[in-house]
Amino acid sequence: MRFQDAARDARTVVYAGIQADPLVARAAALLAEATTAERLLARAAMNGERTDPETWRRIFPTLFGEGSEGACKHAELVLAASLQIAERGEAARSQYRGAVVEELTARLLARRGSSETSDAPIRRERRVLFDGVRAEIHPYDVTVESADHPEVYDCKWGARGINADVLNQLDDARAHAADEDVRLHVAIVVFDARPSCELRLDRSTANHDGTDLVALESLDALSGGPIRATS
Amino acid sequence: MVARAVDAYRTLADLAETVEEEWQYVTDLFDAYEPSIRALAGADPTRALTAPEVAAVDEVIAEIGLITDPHKAIDWLSTFPHVVGLALGGDVNRPAGEAADGAGPGGDPLEPDDDSPFRTLRGNR
Repeated sequence: MRFQDAARDARTVVYAGIQADPLVARAAALLAEATTAERLLARAAMNGERTDPETWRRIFPTLFGEGSEGACKHAELVLAASLQIAERGEAARSQYRGAVVEELTARLLARRGSSETSDAPIRRERRVLFDGVRAEIHPYDVTVESADHPEVYDCKWGARGINADVLNQLDDARAHAADEDVRLHVAIVVFDARPSCELRLDRSTANHDGTDLVALESLDALSGGPIRATS
Repeated sequence: MVARAVDAYRTLADLAETVEEEWQYVTDLFDAYEPSIRALAGADPTRALTAPEVAAVDEVIAEIGLITDPHKAIDWLSTFPHVVGLALGGDVNRPAGEAADGAGPGGDPLEPDDDSPFRTLRGNR
């Protein structure tokens, strides 16, 4: 089993430009430091109809109201970045949101301090190749390329992004790795509430017993090393 | 207030289910969350809502009322209940990464969702 850069086509070149936008890095950095409530704010504001900050301050009184002074400054930064993404327009914002989730995932994984995979390279847009197996079409969004404990992550803005193709690819990779006596940790990171993700998974006929779900509420678990599947 | 949130949520679901291939998921979301939103009214019947809480729910109802894209409506079927729950008293001030028992970084690994503000909406699952 080995990792390989994905081939670049026109779509990936355009998307790479979005991934490299400083706004994506700023939003991800802020979300890496955010509370779950601030992440919910980001999800709502990035997907909102209105982009005036005062509306969102009213919708989230626990973040911006009385008694929230300490956290308020960070929430303001999260809100500002989220609204900047929302203002990119309906077509672009979905790509920005996806790029933010990927960057956030990579940043949280990079925080591991003492785990056995803490020194492993964390890469983006990589394929996993197995002996005698046709290469996958879609690259993985984020990979932790440890020789002993490799990990692959597919990142989604919303639970609706969970589909049979994604789950089958992850499970196939896990199974092919096992055929080579490699324990490949596979997970899907979703910037959405866990119950919504579980509803999606419950209806899926694709095998996902060996695939972890990292939902909005548990993103920080990425910094603590691979977590066991809860699906 | 909660009754108006439930009505708004139903209207949002009506829009979302026009995406035919997602009808089942829309139904699942509505069936899962609608009772949870309704239950927020009964969580503490003696507590009067504060002005900011009322304003927050009013604003988020107005926000989803502006949605015309059924695909966006599906996204908000997942988001709206949590925003309402948060506005009406979710456990939201714990910093991310801090365990419910107060263990900080370097402590035992977090169980997924230990820091969730959504517990009320999930029936403490």
